[in-house]
Amino acid sequence: MTNALPINIVRFIGLLALQVLVLKPLSYGWQGHFFINFLVYPLFIFLLPLRTPMPAALLSAFAMGFLVDLSYDSWGVHAAASVLTAYVRPWPLKWLQPREGYNVNHSPTKKRMGTQWFLAYSSIMMGFHLLVYYSLDAFSPYYLKSIFLKTLFSFPLSMFFVIIVMYIFNPED
Amino acid sequence: MRGLLQLFAAYGGFLLFVLLEAISITLIVQYNQRQGEIASNSLGLFTAYMDQSSDWFREYIGLKDEVVRLQAKNIKLMEQLENARYSNAVFRDSVRQDSLEQLYTFIGAKVISNSLSSDNNTLRLGKGSRQGIRPHMGVISDDGIVGIVRTTTEHFSQVMSILHSQSRINASIRGPGYFGSLTWDGRDPRHMQLNAIPRHAKFVEGDTVETNGFSQIFPTGIPVGVIDKIEEVPGNNFFKIQVRLFIDLARVKYVYVVDNLMRKELDELDQQAND
Repeated sequence: MTNALPINIVRFIGLLALQVLVLKPLSYGWQGHFFINFLVYPLFIFLLPLRTPMPAALLSAFAMGFLVDLSYDSWGVHAAASVLTAYVRPWPLKWLQPREGYNVNHSPTKKRMGTQWFLAYSSIMMGFHLLVYYSLDAFSPYYLKSIFLKTLFSFPLSMFFVIIVMYIFNPED
Repeated sequence: MRGLLQLFAAYGGFLLFVLLEAISITLIVQYNQRQGEIASNSLGLFTAYMDQSSDWFREYIGLKDEVVRLQAKNIKLMEQLENARYSNAVFRDSVRQDSLEQLYTFIGAKVISNSLSSDNNTLRLGKGSRQGIRPHMGVISDDGIVGIVRTTTEHFSQVMSILHSQSRINASIRGPGYFGSLTWDGRDPRHMQLNAIPRHAKFVEGDTVETNGFSQIFPTGIPVGVIDKIEEVPGNNFFKIQVRLFIDLARVKYVYVVDNLMRKELDELDQQAND
């Protein structure tokens, strides 16, 4: 409980580095067709402790999105999507609430909540985040088809990296 | 101050969310060329749409004045027509002396209530004695005749529609000139009956029926309708004629009240004959 802050700082930096240094170069080389984008940094938002106050969650999500934006040269797009994802996080948590409720000192990790629960939770959150991200990236309902296609293609790959990270580190909080 | 703090305590998450999203969207629009172009383009479309709607609204507001103006203009033109004038033309010492005097003038008015469903239909106009409307004046519209003014008050007047069981309108068949009186049988608001056309008259279906000016209520030659059906009733010396009206009284909106400037003289004439 006391080490929630340092853990999250380390996770913040680690996921940012993974996103910017490893995954960003991977999405290049498709000759401008960004149908496939690997986004793993939202995992930071997914794994924030359940008792995180909303303002703190929003600010850290904004900081994460903004730093990713700096690297992707897409001012504000990731930031807006991250803030929205952080803001809606309570709803999936409410839908997926176990019968005995949550222990607010925990984080919603695979180890705490179980693999099946975590898959459902992170899928909802990742799908939402990708949809918002590509909508803001296109910025017009004219590109609706392309928005859905990009979301559809990016979703399994992003989830693949999320699951890999969770299996490698398997954090408790 | 305390209220403000409480507000932040209660809605801080939401307010911060709105603030951060506003910052992000501003960044997107300001620093991303593609999204910025889409945004300014959409904003341009939106303002153009708003301009267009306000323009339409202003035009619509202006229409009311426009109707009054056009009515005045129409009246000016209608007064120029031959049937609105009294002619002094006579041959005297083989010189034709011709001068015209104004016989009819018109007052523009708007129908404010109307009925069609009963046997005795009336209309109400939004103009009254203050504008010079008096009982027994005729009421016409662009498509034909509407009725005769029955009573007036300062601001309003009541019109007996031609679709009234007591309505009798002098009318002639254009061309042959046989005259009769138009009545309404209370059935179809698009049809009236032309009575008292004698059996020897020659005319066909499709002939136009017009006012003949006998009553000095309507100017001569206003088209009223066309003959739809001619029936011969056995043992009757007159035809039974159905006339399809040009005017649709179900949607008459702007009318002209006919003011006969020589009405007083005509009344005097009748008075002298009666004495």
